[in-house]
Amino acid sequence: MVACTALVFIGTAAAILERDPFDKLISLSLMISGIFPFIIDRGLLDVATATALIAPLSTIFILMVCRRVPA
Amino acid sequence: MAEGMPVIAIYVCAVIAVYAALRIILQRNTMRKLPFLNVLSFAVTGIIALLLPHPITIAAAAAYFVGSTLESNAIASTWAGGIKKDE
Amino acid sequence: MLDEPTRILIAAVICWLNFMIIDLFFKLPESGGVSGATAIAEEVEKGGGALNGGFMMGNIVSSPDASAGTLLASCGVFCAGFFGGLFAAVLVYAGNRICYDPGYAGTTGCITATFIVYGATQIGFAASDFIAGMVIAILTIQGISHVHASRLIARFWSVRCRWLRGCR
Repeated sequence: MVACTALVFIGTAAAILERDPFDKLISLSLMISGIFPFIIDRGLLDVATATALIAPLSTIFILMVCRRVPA
Repeated sequence: MAEGMPVIAIYVCAVIAVYAALRIILQRNTMRKLPFLNVLSFAVTGIIALLLPHPITIAAAAAYFVGSTLESNAIASTWAGGIKKDE
Repeated sequence: MLDEPTRILIAAVICWLNFMIIDLFFKLPESGGVSGATAIAEEVEKGGGALNGGFMMGNIVSSPDASAGTLLASCGVFCAGFFGGLFAAVLVYAGNRICYDPGYAGTTGCITATFIVYGATQIGFAASDFIAGMVIAILTIQGISHVHASRLIARFWSVRCRWLRGCR
């Protein structure tokens, strides 16, 4: 749907324009949320379930990496 | 793109999703973005369920929602831990 | 039966009541479950809101609570009928444990919502109305004005504390 495309674009634009690293992560989350309905629309439910579990895990890993670098 | 019968419901969720996305960007404060992100997750979970009425869709929608909640939780906890600057 | 927009609005009110009552019953506005919820509550309070309202909003963000349970129950009933809703309750329970939440607000909310949505489908509603309705309901709490929403929640919380003993 058009709205999901809009989500992806807004998320990408926000990810580029934001300064604070946490805001960038939130924008990435926005972007992935936009992609998700497209995967479902194709009918790839198992891909969707797998992606839904892996994408947040990658965000958590990024957070753990950023923790080592003192902000 | 085969849209199911509940057209208005899908439009409602889509409009709310875009609205939440705009509020996320327009919000300056990081912590205050998170409730809007939560609204976005609700809306996209709704869109997922409405697009494909199949029993396994429940698992995909639930996985997406729990994943995004876990992600927001992680962002909030890390932010809270970082500002206090302990350890 | 009724027109679809009207049905969605009625469903929104029902969802709102369902998740508010269960979250208040499970004492969500009392304190933040995890550190992230407390951080969000502090930010809401700095913006002029009420602390208890902020705690509940923080808890909603950090872990699947009754609002999530209601949404997934509606999705479950939409996709697979009554047992879809119960399957969603199992997934909400798993989600609660994954997010380190020891409470049962999400699972309870999901089960009551399954009954409500399934009952409503028998009298002419469609499960999709409840999905859209729940998204509208959460929008009113988390998505329009944090300050006003938190004050509203705090008012309900004080009422709940007077009726059912058991909070500070």
